[in-house]
Amino acid sequence: MNLKSIGDAWQSGMAKNITFIVTKDCQLACKYCYLVGKNVKERMSWDTAKAFIDYVLAREDDFREESVVWDFIGGEPFLEIELIDRICDYLKLRMFELGHHWFDSYRFSFSTNGINYHTPEVQRFIEKNREHLSIGITIDGTERKHDLNRVWKQATPDENGIIHPSDRGSYKDVVKNIPLWLKQFPDAGTKVTISSPDIPYIRESVMHLYGLGIHQVNINVVFEDVWQEGDDARFEEQLMLLADEIIDGGWYQDYACSFFSEHIGKPLDPVRDNQNWCGAGRMLSVDAAGNLYPCTRFAQYSLRSKKALVIGNIRDGINPNLLRPFLTLDRTTQSPQKCLDCEVASGCAWCQGENYDAAQTNTVYQRATAICLMHKARVRANNYYWNKLYRKLELEGRREEFERNKRSVEHQTC
Amino acid sequence: MMQYLVILLDDTSVAYCHCDNPHRERRLMPPETLRDGIRYAMTHNLMIQFVYPDYDLPQDYLDAIDTIDHHDIVPFPRQGDVAVAENSKLKIENSAGAVVVLRMKKAELFVSGDTVAALLRQVQRLNIVITDLDTFTDADLVPYGALLDRWAALLKEEYLAGRTPQLNLLTDRMMLTAPNHCNAGVENLTLAPNGRFYLCPAFYYTASEESVDPEDIPNQQLLRLDHAPLCRRCDAYHCRRCVWLNQRTTLDANTPSHEQCAVAHTERNASRRLLAAIREKAQFMPEVDIKEINYIDPFDIRKDF
Repeated sequence: MNLKSIGDAWQSGMAKNITFIVTKDCQLACKYCYLVGKNVKERMSWDTAKAFIDYVLAREDDFREESVVWDFIGGEPFLEIELIDRICDYLKLRMFELGHHWFDSYRFSFSTNGINYHTPEVQRFIEKNREHLSIGITIDGTERKHDLNRVWKQATPDENGIIHPSDRGSYKDVVKNIPLWLKQFPDAGTKVTISSPDIPYIRESVMHLYGLGIHQVNINVVFEDVWQEGDDARFEEQLMLLADEIIDGGWYQDYACSFFSEHIGKPLDPVRDNQNWCGAGRMLSVDAAGNLYPCTRFAQYSLRSKKALVIGNIRDGINPNLLRPFLTLDRTTQSPQKCLDCEVASGCAWCQGENYDAAQTNTVYQRATAICLMHKARVRANNYYWNKLYRKLELEGRREEFERNKRSVEHQTC
Repeated sequence: MMQYLVILLDDTSVAYCHCDNPHRERRLMPPETLRDGIRYAMTHNLMIQFVYPDYDLPQDYLDAIDTIDHHDIVPFPRQGDVAVAENSKLKIENSAGAVVVLRMKKAELFVSGDTVAALLRQVQRLNIVITDLDTFTDADLVPYGALLDRWAALLKEEYLAGRTPQLNLLTDRMMLTAPNHCNAGVENLTLAPNGRFYLCPAFYYTASEESVDPEDIPNQQLLRLDHAPLCRRCDAYHCRRCVWLNQRTTLDANTPSHEQCAVAHTERNASRRLLAAIREKAQFMPEVDIKEINYIDPFDIRKDF
């Protein structure tokens, strides 16, 4: 296995991410899900999808990125596999007919709950588009950890069509599809989300996912202000237990967990390290109504307290003035002083959508800092991990070999 | 640091900036609110700018106003420190010291060459405020630049003759070595007739529910120049950097629209040409340097920042 390659995001930095919010429905109603307005009503029509594709492909000069990732998100995207199949066929046809520069450099990307993965419709789609596919199945770890949050929705939505959680966990419905998924995408990684109740299960969950054969575990704490007093200490303890198990068991050689990275926990230079973390504004999303967003996180179903931030629609196009705040964002302008002075600032992430939702005013320039203590706890555990690992490698005379082969860790936070 | 308090004496007080005043019904500020406003200004060392409606105020209001040093902003043709008009065909009775704000839409601006030229010979200072700035297209910038050059030719002759009328669109940038923005919410606040504070009159006119606590303005740092990524690197120093327009056009108070930047840079470049033309004939403002640039919107060169 080429460990260097599996952690790299495809065409990272050179690709335009364009997201179809094909449905706001999902089989699950995960308790930590930031999509607070999931519902059964808003499903994208073919006419909307086609109009959006025609809009984007007709403006090649406005979208000069070398490559494109056509992203499909929900709710659960595979609930709309027929529509997705039609969209992908049309995209391929039109990119070819137009001689578009993306025809030779595109990918279809999915983040799925995995429940429908084995169905004939999904499998036919995978077979047809295999060479251009990236699919991530979300499984949170052990059954008890996974089922703590990732539960089925109630059988019927409320009077507004909003879906609500039931008591039934989804682990067994997902884990049965993991072998097929890994057979088809052996380098695939999974995404794990940690909120306050999940902390005690971090170690066992990452090791469980390794045991299932998943080599890349992308894991992050939620950005929302959900943290309880003492969570940082519990989090640090779990990560140190995880570090011990990964190092003592030799898992670090073939497996990766994004919690541990050599690049985090350093001070940042206000000039040299001033770039924005998040890609909002450089991405583009469309929903069932044909409204356009700088990222899916600005659609109404993602927002608790703010109005949707719509930057245009498929009829009138994008209002470029509404992209200007996003495209001029930098780290220092949006960060409070405590972040600018932070000695362990590198690797501390933020989500522009959460920043907007949590801000005191209507702005994307107020950085939410709910994860501050969690990041600092992560840095302490991360320092422990690398100090322990490098000491072990030096004692074994394998430090140089490790340096030559070590992987780059993917920073996937949303 | 706060320096000014704008007090709107009535709901129909004259609009003097980009935003129209939609109120048509008179609602005079209650006398106790006026007294509280004056007291607030005195205790915070703020200079008051009273903004008047188009009718005579009761004597007790005038007496209260006279208890503090202040400036008066009045609808033309009333007499005050600044008179605000909406029609360029003005008859100025007494030009000595007259400062006139002329609010115009783009369409009127483009046919006002002669009347504005005439006004420049009558007033000490003319502030032209374009009230539909957001409708400017890039195609409009060419005739706008030509119009500014026409006024610049007149100003050049006036300056060389020893007279110094000011036109905000041309002479402000020529005189400035640092930004001279509006700074609403940072250097000035507005007290409305309802007794609440606003960042500026436009926020009262368009979002009266968005009043602010003057002691704790949320995200006040985003109103400051150092938190405006485009503006802090910009040398169109005369631009008002209107945070209300920013909020309305880009949804963020610290980010200007393309139109606001392009219009300001058209004026900046015309000021540069005027400065050069005057210097061909005489030594003038040697400390001011307006560099030649090849863009009209700093957003287009943001990757070079």
